[in-house]
Amino acid sequence: MVVTVLTPGPLATLQGSARRGLRHQGIPASGPADPLSMALANRLCGNLPDVTAVEITFGGAAFEFRQDTVFSFAGAALSATLSGAPVPAHETLEAKNGDVLAFAHPAAGVRTYLAISGGLRAEAMFGSASTFLPAGFGGFLGRVLRAGDQMERAGAANKPPPLATPTPLRPHMARAHSLRAVPGPDFAALTPAVWRETFQTTNRMDRTGLELTGNWPKPEAGAHRPSAALFAGAVQLTPSGNGFVLLPDAQTTGGYPHILQVIRADRHLLGQIAPGDRVSFLTRSVDDAYQDLRAKAGYLAEWLPEFCF
Amino acid sequence: MSAPEIFFVGDDALAVKLAERAARHALAAALRASGQWVDVVPGKGEVTVQFDPLVVPPRQAEALLRQQAVDIPETEDVSVQAITLHMQADDTAGPDLARIAAENGLTAEAFLARISASPLIVDMMGFTAGFAYVSGLDPALIAPRLDTPRQRVPAGSVGMISGQLGLYALAGPAGWPIIGRIAEPLFDARREAPFTLEAGVSIQLVIER
Repeated sequence: MVVTVLTPGPLATLQGSARRGLRHQGIPASGPADPLSMALANRLCGNLPDVTAVEITFGGAAFEFRQDTVFSFAGAALSATLSGAPVPAHETLEAKNGDVLAFAHPAAGVRTYLAISGGLRAEAMFGSASTFLPAGFGGFLGRVLRAGDQMERAGAANKPPPLATPTPLRPHMARAHSLRAVPGPDFAALTPAVWRETFQTTNRMDRTGLELTGNWPKPEAGAHRPSAALFAGAVQLTPSGNGFVLLPDAQTTGGYPHILQVIRADRHLLGQIAPGDRVSFLTRSVDDAYQDLRAKAGYLAEWLPEFCF
Repeated sequence: MSAPEIFFVGDDALAVKLAERAARHALAAALRASGQWVDVVPGKGEVTVQFDPLVVPPRQAEALLRQQAVDIPETEDVSVQAITLHMQADDTAGPDLARIAAENGLTAEAFLARISASPLIVDMMGFTAGFAYVSGLDPALIAPRLDTPRQRVPAGSVGMISGQLGLYALAGPAGWPIIGRIAEPLFDARREAPFTLEAGVSIQLVIER
């Protein structure tokens, strides 16, 4: 045993790689809602980007180490306490057997990733250790972490040289978000106003998606199209009149108008959007989005050579 | 045949519009077999593929899909898989059965006979893991969605709305009225293909009461 959960906070799960090639069976990607922050935490422990880590939602979580180990964290939390002493995000850290790591609620952002060297052991399902809560598989017994859960190390403990994430690569946590997006297949004649609007997230958010209120185009009465494939980053117009942005655990098909698609390069940002945050969309073409993706991948390549969007 | 319409679904997915179900299933199988796409997902009017633009740039992906979509296998060449499933249909397995049958002006026996006589076929998988949308249901049979979805129905539950059945391979929340439960496991993690059903499979339903 390497880590015991003292309190999981509002929601904590184990997440690892994304599931691929199974959406035609209704199985979504899952994996971290903010894969970049998880990759950065893993990097500091000498792990590959998608080695299984704890995804902590809204902080408020505490863990007790049961072995001496190298660990790190990145994402919404800028700092935590280790047996009472402050420890920073984005640095390789060492814990002694019996140390307690505690996270407060973050001022901005949603999810923090706790990685340990060698990764955490999880139940692999469909080629991935990621928890998919709606069907109850993967991760820790297919469920959320609870107080008292005892987690094991998956791989060999290693002792990487102490590292710190280069400052320019640290994702900035904010309460306002600009997301680059391309028009979706149902981007209608009335839709161009969405590029000028600012939307606000409601309390309806989880790993399947987040709801945005604001001045959306009015869907035509009963607007519905034959169910078609959807992916994370899709922005649908729901019958409530609100937009709904899909996250990694979202359903794989749907029939509401699909008016925008957050571009692949920016989907990692979706995992840090909190209730009450402001969101606007920047218009991109498919060709722009490809250049954006190449630029961001190039920027990260030296520090995270194995990172996949 | 003429080239079907192809369009982008975001910056890393493309769709081929195809009205005919058999053609969608044939194309989806061919696209999956090509190994060129991360995901291949048939819907009710199109087949959508996802790709990694850093591996296949978007315009190259578009050209590749255009070429693959012209060579759709002739639908008569595609063998239709058939499967027989046994549906337990009592008040426990199908808590909404008696009510839905009555709303259709039928006894439960007559209602179930119409269902088992329908040419049922898996139209698509989706919504959640292993959920099968099954079309071909006798169009005279009607059932509205539940006003309040159930938090949890057992694995194998058979939901029904007008024109369709929905088979829940895993336990979970359900918004469709439940009329029975499939006796055979629809999911087995130990199998190489864990889900029993896939798009295009025809179903012979045997009622057990």
